[in-house]
Amino acid sequence: MKIVAVTACPTGIAHTYMAAEQLEKTAKVLGHQIRVETQGAMGIENELSAADIREAEVVIFAVDIDVEKRERFSAKRIVQVAVQEAIRNPKAVLGKITA
Amino acid sequence: MAVEYTFQCPLPNGLHARPASQLAAVAGRFACELQLNNERTGTVANAKSILAIVSAHIRFADACVIRAAGADEAAALAALRDFVERMLPEGDEPLPVARTGPGEPRLPRALRTAGTSWLAGTPVSGGIGQGIVVVIGGLRLPEALVSAPTGSPQEEQRKLTAALTSARTALERRLTPGLGMVEAGILHAHLAMVADVALQEKLDEFVAAGRSAGAAVVEAGRFFADRLGQAESALVRERAADVQDVCLQLLHELYGTGARDGGPTLTQPSVVVAENLSPHQLLALDRRLLRGLVLGYAGTTSHTVVLARSFDVPTLVGVADAARRLTVGNEIIVDAHHGIVVAEVTPAARRFYAREERTRRARAEQLARFTQVPALTRDGRRLQIAANVATIEELAPAFAGGAEGVGLFRTEMLFLDRDRPPSEEEQFGVYVQAAKTAAGRPVIIRTLDIGGDKPAAYLNLRPEANPFLGQRGVRLYPEQARLFNEQTRAILRASAFGPLWVMVPMIATLDEVRWVKARLAEVQADLAARGVAFNRKMPMGIMLEVPSIAFILEPLCREVDFFSIGTNDLTQYFLAVDRGNENVADLYRARHPALLKLLDMVVRGIHDSGRWVGLCGEMGRDRRSLPLLVGLGLDEISVAAADVPGLKAAVGQLDAAECRRLFEAAAACATAAEVETLLDNFYRQAAGQPLLEESFVLLDVDSGDKTEAIRDIIDAFHVAGRTDDPQAVEDAVWAREEVYTTGLGHGFAIPHCKTDAMAAPAVGVARLREPLAWGSVDGQPVRMVLLLAVRESDPQDIHLRVLAQLARRLMHEDFRAHLLAARDAAEMIDYLTRELNPGGAPSSP
Repeated sequence: MKIVAVTACPTGIAHTYMAAEQLEKTAKVLGHQIRVETQGAMGIENELSAADIREAEVVIFAVDIDVEKRERFSAKRIVQVAVQEAIRNPKAVLGKITA
Repeated sequence: MAVEYTFQCPLPNGLHARPASQLAAVAGRFACELQLNNERTGTVANAKSILAIVSAHIRFADACVIRAAGADEAAALAALRDFVERMLPEGDEPLPVARTGPGEPRLPRALRTAGTSWLAGTPVSGGIGQGIVVVIGGLRLPEALVSAPTGSPQEEQRKLTAALTSARTALERRLTPGLGMVEAGILHAHLAMVADVALQEKLDEFVAAGRSAGAAVVEAGRFFADRLGQAESALVRERAADVQDVCLQLLHELYGTGARDGGPTLTQPSVVVAENLSPHQLLALDRRLLRGLVLGYAGTTSHTVVLARSFDVPTLVGVADAARRLTVGNEIIVDAHHGIVVAEVTPAARRFYAREERTRRARAEQLARFTQVPALTRDGRRLQIAANVATIEELAPAFAGGAEGVGLFRTEMLFLDRDRPPSEEEQFGVYVQAAKTAAGRPVIIRTLDIGGDKPAAYLNLRPEANPFLGQRGVRLYPEQARLFNEQTRAILRASAFGPLWVMVPMIATLDEVRWVKARLAEVQADLAARGVAFNRKMPMGIMLEVPSIAFILEPLCREVDFFSIGTNDLTQYFLAVDRGNENVADLYRARHPALLKLLDMVVRGIHDSGRWVGLCGEMGRDRRSLPLLVGLGLDEISVAAADVPGLKAAVGQLDAAECRRLFEAAAACATAAEVETLLDNFYRQAAGQPLLEESFVLLDVDSGDKTEAIRDIIDAFHVAGRTDDPQAVEDAVWAREEVYTTGLGHGFAIPHCKTDAMAAPAVGVARLREPLAWGSVDGQPVRMVLLLAVRESDPQDIHLRVLAQLARRLMHEDFRAHLLAARDAAEMIDYLTRELNPGGAPSSP
């Protein structure tokens, strides 16, 4: 399954990246293809392209703050979870969207 | 017949001690009766009495009437009217600002969570002291004298007059040339008070009513101390302690030493608590046992406070009702860092302050590495760091803090707040003491820099519409030739005792320099003829604050030995911006490229002529400007003593060649904004300090709880100089902690913050001996804490990338296992450096 995700937390120096790492790591184990954009203190990194978003079947927002450039995802199915949840239990988060 | 004049008080802080003393001085020149009425309160004051005027509590915009009655009433009223309309509006000074707002000090978390009982105060002399509470009461008649028989009013009056005379003589006798400036200033203030007519009238009144001389002194003292103590203006309130001191002195004259309620004898480490403590009472205490002062009303500039500061006694003022709320004999802590009195030394407080003390010592040891060695840039360029001082008492601490000289000794404090200028002998005493204290280091003494904005009543300066462009500094000397002569004589004579340099302010032309040199030559010739010792080669220099100097450097360099750039005035004269005017405040830019070009031109020009150039303005203490100043190529930077150690350490982080390139690029900019962008980039790219140092890795520490574990790491940052304000970093970490827990599970926690209280970003690691509750997502206790702290305003991507990588790697079991297993700090740093190298492979699926 093709997935795109955005992670973002209040200070943007730790949880954003931990969540991204957990989603990437777990998706790989479960056999999904995932691209994760981080919106942290360095700004947007690994920015999702229009093609990435178009091809994705589902979008995960693991965020505690507003997503920047949210309009890119207007037509997509979005699953939003707290950053904490993606860090603590990435398997359950990914389970939610494939269910 | 009487005449009168009505006005509204133009002073925002009211008619406080300094303007009152000036008004009283003008009034005192006339024989007629002069009254000052405050129409708001209905108070009538004798306009010749400082005490009476300040007791009239005249606030901003209060309607006042001056009534004159007597032979010279017309002349007196005209003079006072002139004073009120022209001098008074200039004679104000801003109120000292308390560091923390009342009732809102930032209590350290460890104390807050332990429910420690505490009182808030305004710190006026730093440090932390612990001791038992000793309360000193106010002015009262010694028990033994209460029942003493009272003579006839005539008899008591005679005793009183004798006491006033001998008190005056005693004060004058204590005014010896070797006295420190602070103590001399106090004695002058007390002399004025002993001669005050309102005090005299009050004393007469009580004696006439049948009181003994002693009781009259006590009651008059209480009367004025109460009235001053209730004043809304802090500047007035702080004179209350001086009244008390003068009255204690009078009691002493009346009844001998037995009468003075000299205060308690300290027998163990003590904190003295008083509503009001006079300078004399403070001097009477055993300083070896005095650990702190807690005062009710005393201003931040009161004489007692100035003394406490020079004795380095931790002091809090504005602690309401302290004597009632603290228990005599109880152990308390005066914490002038946080602005609190810890009323009860609980185990939690003891533990917290033991740690504070350890941290403070460790930080001092760390700073000592810089303080007692010359400041050098990374590439070995020498830059002297000196101290700016205004009183003799500041010299010793400045040198202890690593100052390599005194770059600016402001002498104005010697001349202000008194009714006559200091004598040559008094000044000589101060300058000799400076030379001796400096022990071979150079001391630059600036001759009197006074003008219409810093009034000294005895100079009879004419008020000016624009004192900053008026008759100030050197421009005043021809008219005050005697004053200048006495000062230069005193400096020259003192130059025989150590390397003193003399510096003249406000020079704009070559003629002024030649005039000054001619006067110096005359003094030298006279001293030589009398066989008085002085240094014939005493360097003579000028302040570089008027832009015209930049264009006549060559001839000037033939006349003077050195220059010191006063950036504050130079900036405002060069950019035509009054720095005190809010409407144009954003035009005041010390880093304006035009100003940088001017600075470059003068420093090069001075060096080409083989002369020395330092800088003694505010810009020197501005850390962001430091790379530019290093790039400018100055010989010396002089800053407030407290800033010296930090500045020396900061110079050591910079590369002079890099700074020069930055400076040249900045001076070539067209706008101030471009300079700021350059600086941003400079800081972003600067190699800077490593995120992780060995001292930030705490292995198997005994932190007692989460609060301590976090503070342990932050204190390590503080000791290494990454932050000067560990409390602010702690607050920032806990603010983040409150959003949701940073306990990630698996026994790991990653607290973090973004705050400009960090001078540079850092990562700290604490591996705990005992796992601690953290409120982690998996409910498990934490064994390993990684604390990330970056700056808010200019975070550097290179550091953020490392932190992001660290966060990612923490999600991996093998990474966590390595951290838990590291044998020592070096191994841990080694492992982390390898794993987190930003050039390493990104971790992607």
